[in-house]
Amino acid sequence: MLTDRGFFGLAVLLYGASATWSFFIWRRGFRHDSRWQYFLLLCAAVLHTVAMAKRGFSLERCPVTNLYEATTFTAWTIVAAFLVIGALPRLRFLGAFVSPVLFAMGVFALMPALDPKGPRPDFSGGLVSLHVALILLAYGAFGLGSTAGVMYLTQEHDLKFHKLRALVSALPSIQGLEVVIGRFLLCGVVLLAAGLALSPMLLKQAQSANPLADPKVLWSVFVLLLYVGLLVARWRFSPGGRKFAWGAVGSFAFVLLTFWGFNLLSGIHNP
Amino acid sequence: MPIFALGLSHRTAPLTVRERFAFAETTVADATRRLRESGLIEEAVILSTCNRVEIYAATSAEPQAAVSELRRFLLAHHNYTEPLGTELYELGELHSVEHLFKVAAGLDSMVLGETEILGQLKQAYDLALKHGHTGRRLNKAFQTAFNVAKKIRTETNIQRGSVSVASVAVELAEKIFDTLTGRTVMVIGAGDTSEKTARALLSRGAKSVIVSNRSHDRAVALAAELGGRAVHFDEWHTEFALIDIIISSTSAPHYVLTRAKLAPLHSLRHARPLLLIDIAVPRDIEPEVNFLDDVYLYNVDDLQTIADDHLKLRREELLVCESIIRAKAKALLTAPPGPPGSSGSTFAFGNE
Repeated sequence: MLTDRGFFGLAVLLYGASATWSFFIWRRGFRHDSRWQYFLLLCAAVLHTVAMAKRGFSLERCPVTNLYEATTFTAWTIVAAFLVIGALPRLRFLGAFVSPVLFAMGVFALMPALDPKGPRPDFSGGLVSLHVALILLAYGAFGLGSTAGVMYLTQEHDLKFHKLRALVSALPSIQGLEVVIGRFLLCGVVLLAAGLALSPMLLKQAQSANPLADPKVLWSVFVLLLYVGLLVARWRFSPGGRKFAWGAVGSFAFVLLTFWGFNLLSGIHNP
Repeated sequence: MPIFALGLSHRTAPLTVRERFAFAETTVADATRRLRESGLIEEAVILSTCNRVEIYAATSAEPQAAVSELRRFLLAHHNYTEPLGTELYELGELHSVEHLFKVAAGLDSMVLGETEILGQLKQAYDLALKHGHTGRRLNKAFQTAFNVAKKIRTETNIQRGSVSVASVAVELAEKIFDTLTGRTVMVIGAGDTSEKTARALLSRGAKSVIVSNRSHDRAVALAAELGGRAVHFDEWHTEFALIDIIISSTSAPHYVLTRAKLAPLHSLRHARPLLLIDIAVPRDIEPEVNFLDDVYLYNVDDLQTIADDHLKLRREELLVCESIIRAKAKALLTAPPGPPGSSGSTFAFGNE
């Protein structure tokens, strides 16, 4: 019988296949229905869910105790949200943009150092699970916002440079995509704020040291402010769709590249 | 009882000949009646459009005699006495059915894949049906033709993409704006193509049209036609904050819209996208305008290139469409006779 990491490895293989498919879909100008890619991601999501469920049952709690689990949870959030949104045919091409992100996150999560054996931090309790789940769901929403941002930038580039692909592709309008990015980011901000709002209670329970000195806490607050800033700038100063899309993509790239580093530096999250 | 067709189209005859053979709408029913009175033709449908005049007929008489009768009728009806070369084509059973399917699917149209012909064909058939000029054989052939056209439209890309400047502009607008409902269009210079483009945008839900022209009277007239309003030519920029789409087609020898003029106005728009369609020659809009954020500029060559590319994509679909048509025509002509008394499809084809 496969271990949970085995199931997740199979899911990552399917994400890889889907990412390769994305390349061909892109080469063909997003013309044909991507229902096969949707099916592929659905199969991957099933394996991914089995992997997470196995880990969760073995830990007897929500599997978010280390970087491997946190990354798989975020990736799962992204694929689950895509499966819901992708039910609408006009947004199904989101799969072509999501697949490379999922594949990269999956390969990253499978690095052995992220899933060490031995004693685990005590992240038990409903409040901890809720805190972690809300925050990781927020990163999933930010991830989807950034993939919608890549869709926007692709379509905007094609329209600016008069590429036929802008018309023959089945991608939605850029104004529609801008709305989608905004909604994902707003959703992410609400979830992240809710997750972070639980922190004082958790720290009180754990009687931890000064949270304001913890790099991960500071980083999380910075990420929240970054996204709030993006949304406020869009609402107040109308920076234009392209800049907003770049903001969504750049911010999520920052999250992806720095999340693990700040997590390792955190005394509260690595007791 | 074979089906056959006789006709001429834009492929075989120039307009000067086609217009001589055109049937006025009010005379079609009577002409079909007189054709059937000859006794050789049992069922007939006359299709007369600006690009083709075709008679589809079914007969149990000797086919060659029936075709000769049809030709004699067509020439006599239009009092055409000049010599004819290859303008008129005669199509036997299989080819006539395949041709009918092609016509219905827009594969024989001047603009490949266009849909207007299907409506015209349905109208011609309905008229013949109403006057009792069709029977089981033509009923079945025409109904199948309509189904084939639908199948081709849904299963191939033959109708995908716009092939006229006006419709390409609409398609572009739909890729930029979430919806065209409520959009404001400005027409600068009251030309024919800009009018067509504005009409196409209005038909897709655009809210209002503002017309600006050097001759204000002409602007007022066009605005009235389009249900919009006119502004003086030197005041068009006062409306800029409201506008989503500009169609420009003045005869000015210089740029009417430059980047320097547009950039300060652009900040009033709060980053709303702006589609600029420049169909003037020489161009009205400075190309550098396209470098402004949220501005999308297309000139007439850009639109034409897109239209041509779409047409090329449609041509690539021709083989698929033709194979569908061949299979459907073969199936129709080899279908076994159905039980008597059932609707149009009950009658033997080909092998009777």
